Amino acid sequence: MTDSTPILSLKSVRKMFGPYAAVDDIDIDISEGEFFTIVGPSGSGKTTLLRMLAGMDQPTSGDIMLRGERINDIPANKRPTCMVFQSLALFPHRTVGQNIEFPLKIRGEDPERRKARALQLMALLRLPEHYYAKNVMKCSGGERQRVALARALAYDPQILFFDEPLSAIDYKLRKTLEKELKDIHRETKKTFIYITHSLEEAMVMSDRIGVMRAGKLVQVGTPHQIYTSPTTRFVSEFVGDVNVIPVSLGARGSLRMAENGRELKPPKLPAGFGNGYLVVRPEYIRFLDKAGDADNAVEGKLYNEYALGSRIQYQVRVGDAVFVVEKLRQQPFSGKLDDKVIIGWDAKDAILVTD
Amino acid sequence: MLNRASRMRHSLIIAWSVAVVIFLYIPTVCIVLASLTASRYFQFPISKWGLDWWTKTLTSIEVRQLLTTSITIALLVTVVAVFLAFFGALAFARHDWKGRSVYQKIILLPIFFPQSVLGLALLLWFNTLGLPLSWKTAVFAHLVWIVPVVTLVISIQVYSFDPALEEAAYDLGASRWQVLKEVTLPVLFPGLFSGSLFAFLLSWGNFPLSLYTTGADTTVPEYLYAKMVAGYTPGVPVLGTISTAGAVVLLIGGYALITLLRRTRSTEQGGQDA
Repeated sequence: MTDSTPILSLKSVRKMFGPYAAVDDIDIDISEGEFFTIVGPSGSGKTTLLRMLAGMDQPTSGDIMLRGERINDIPANKRPTCMVFQSLALFPHRTVGQNIEFPLKIRGEDPERRKARALQLMALLRLPEHYYAKNVMKCSGGERQRVALARALAYDPQILFFDEPLSAIDYKLRKTLEKELKDIHRETKKTFIYITHSLEEAMVMSDRIGVMRAGKLVQVGTPHQIYTSPTTRFVSEFVGDVNVIPVSLGARGSLRMAENGRELKPPKLPAGFGNGYLVVRPEYIRFLDKAGDADNAVEGKLYNEYALGSRIQYQVRVGDAVFVVEKLRQQPFSGKLDDKVIIGWDAKDAILVTD
Repeated sequence: MLNRASRMRHSLIIAWSVAVVIFLYIPTVCIVLASLTASRYFQFPISKWGLDWWTKTLTSIEVRQLLTTSITIALLVTVVAVFLAFFGALAFARHDWKGRSVYQKIILLPIFFPQSVLGLALLLWFNTLGLPLSWKTAVFAHLVWIVPVVTLVISIQVYSFDPALEEAAYDLGASRWQVLKEVTLPVLFPGLFSGSLFAFLLSWGNFPLSLYTTGADTTVPEYLYAKMVAGYTPGVPVLGTISTAGAVVLLIGGYALITLLRRTRSTEQGGQDA
């Protein structure tokens, strides 16, 4: 992140569909060269927001400022921004080269310079040179991604938008492409604005993440902030498995579990806290030899285990409540299914959130 | 056991398919045979073969006039129908608008009207409006029935068209006109092409609408009918054969062209990866 003036500024941007606000009063500043990801479940308004930024939809109210100038009324084909679509929208009747050169052809550049630029971009995206004349529909999924990105880069936009371009791709390739996209971001130093429903995907690539829910931006922060300091239960549950314990303020500044009245040692309490949720990530919960080894400890039964590759996840049942615990594979642990176990966590490793 | 049963099933399928094909094509083949007689009247089996009637028909000025009229009507109908149906299909399948489902039903309805009634209705209107009947009124009559059919044909292609293609082109700096020229038309071309084949052939073979609306002009199907009713000569099957053969050549040619186009598109010097 840089501290220069924002390249893109949203001021109270709102989009109404009838009486319903799809995008509700959004303010953000995005810095030059930033990789900013908007995450939200389907129907949260993230696509509508992106379409307004790209110029394909107009906001009902509010302003979109590009380097301090209002661009609300500038149509998509006149904006110095470009979008990579969810379907990629590659022109099926054209070759790889013709697809990449499209914006240059529209701009009226001569064929030789177009070709030179296309080959340059293909090299950047590690597309073999002979693909220049290949029909784009004969390319694999990953190659098509690269062609779509090359075509957008050929436009030489100030901001690149991405509308979930990886959502239809299988897991392994997606993981590779996520990293590739981050590398391209580093190499081109352009501003990337990406939307996805997967916070995991956002974490890998982004400088900053904005979490959207029902048209509102509920939290903006670095991946580290979003992961370690979610402010709401919604954000905390968005990435991976998490233990969410309903609590209220107990006696002498402790927390009382809503389920069974047990007292827990809290992290730093915010002023005026009444009730909410205590969030503990599974990797912060550990198996204890005795209850005194951690600030908070509960006894339960080891119900099941799941191998997640480098980590192993355990399900521990404490009364009716279910706890999710994770440890690295190489950490020693001799518990068997149905064993009685004591699990616990330190007060500082838990997070208090509201709904 | 299983193998014998499946071989049995296989030969039954083949026998059935052959029977269906024979049933479908025998009448057409008979027309060709009837045109190859040397005698004046229609009789079967043919006693004396000959090409006399082919020579007579091909040199006849009247037949040349008939073919000219039919081709002129069909070509005009094709151009106008494809133009109208292209925009009609975009409204039908590409854009979502209030009243679209009503439009979809209304536009398709004329396909199912009995054509003889449609022809009569059009004749009444032409008379009321004081339009003299000729091949020009027939063009209009054909359009009433053919535009809906072609709209449907092109719509099928439009349904498989990803609207994001247009948005992407627009987003990459293209004007609305450039989007149409560079993306929409080329991507929809196969649909437009089959639409124009439909338009030409449906007009070429149409009898009921022409009967009511051509006035003093005569198309090939009208002539065939008139000659069957009164004044049969083996020139009738000759012209019938020519008319059918023309349609077949056009279809095969169109199919070959589309296949060729698809092949050049998919290999376009990009064979290195194969």
